[in-house]
Amino acid sequence: MGRPLEESELVARAQRGDAAAYEELVEMHQGIAFRTAYLIVGSAEDAEEVAADAFLKAYRALGRFRRGKPFRPWLLTIVANEARNRRRGAARRQALALRVADQSRPGDAAPSPEAAAIGAERRSRLLEAVDRLPDDQRLVVECRFFLELDEAETAAVLRVRRGTAKSRLSRALDRLREEVLDDA
Amino acid sequence: MPELERELRGLGESLAFPPTPDLAAGVRTRLPERAPTLWARRLVLVAAVLGAALVAGLAVPQARSAILRVFGIGAIHVEYVDKLPGVEPGVPLDLGREISADEAPFRVLESPLLGSPDGLYASGNVVTQLYGTPEHVRLLVTQIGGRALRPEVVKKVVGTTTNTDFVAIAGIAEQALWIEGAPHVLSLPNAPERLAANTLIWTQGNKTMRLEGAESLDEAVAIAQSFE
Repeated sequence: MGRPLEESELVARAQRGDAAAYEELVEMHQGIAFRTAYLIVGSAEDAEEVAADAFLKAYRALGRFRRGKPFRPWLLTIVANEARNRRRGAARRQALALRVADQSRPGDAAPSPEAAAIGAERRSRLLEAVDRLPDDQRLVVECRFFLELDEAETAAVLRVRRGTAKSRLSRALDRLREEVLDDA
Repeated sequence: MPELERELRGLGESLAFPPTPDLAAGVRTRLPERAPTLWARRLVLVAAVLGAALVAGLAVPQARSAILRVFGIGAIHVEYVDKLPGVEPGVPLDLGREISADEAPFRVLESPLLGSPDGLYASGNVVTQLYGTPEHVRLLVTQIGGRALRPEVVKKVVGTTTNTDFVAIAGIAEQALWIEGAPHVLSLPNAPERLAANTLIWTQGNKTMRLEGAESLDEAVAIAQSFE
């Protein structure tokens, strides 16, 4: 059995119309696509539709994708765009149904030092504070810390330049610091 | 790492997102039969269509034919005619002066989907983003700023063999116009008339947007929605 195909090879094949190659790309990226959509639209059902539609749009636009560039930021731009279109007109999306999971789910690896360092109650409070941020600041925090996107990917989701994403993050962190650290 | 960032990362690790549904199989069944359009292949097609139209264009009398209908979208004025005016073949593309983003007369909307254009041009209040080269154009996005313009600032003359459709685009308030099929004649201020390929026209804020060269309406709409 050969080793899994490189992403760039999968993209090249999909550009030639190889549906199986594209299906593999979808499998590789559906997790991050779904979670990104979820953070923007706020419902799992909508996020599923948004992510599926975004993958179809990305396929049709694949001819414009420059080979050798990373696929993920480009895809996330399309996902975020689709999610925003879905949300447009609606009021602010409902508070996320994200929950702080039980610390010791069976079968899980031991929590990392970071996760173990803070208690569940404090985490819940921090999550609420993130959710109270203005939309653009909330999303930048969620992208960086909940989705673990890098700077370029975060900027792609926010549709801003990297510098703008950085300064937005720093404003958001200032605000969170005031809200949660002072009363710690 | 400062304390707050460490806490946020820990919080991220302990969050329960809804489980990711399996999208791959469903997406695959919805994929279009044909392969995504690659630019290289499409350019040949556009060139071939333009060539045929130029021949046809030369065959019609120079005199402007009867105007059947006129209307405007933003700063663009569209005329339906029964015969296209003759257009000089091989007129080089004249987009105005090449500029940097800072020199644009207004804030130029950008599409993360398309990425940075290969060239930016301005002629008065008309700014054009060029993808490709002036000799081998892949895509043109023209933005016309301001409401104070005379409505005839950009004129499009559409023959009866060109299809035009009003389309509604999610997220864009006013109707958009899709012009497809046989090339139409485009007349910009300070530039010679030329033939134009598939075009979507819409308004966004106080700008009139024009996208030329998309392969299909679907593609044009996806691009239009991505401008911010």
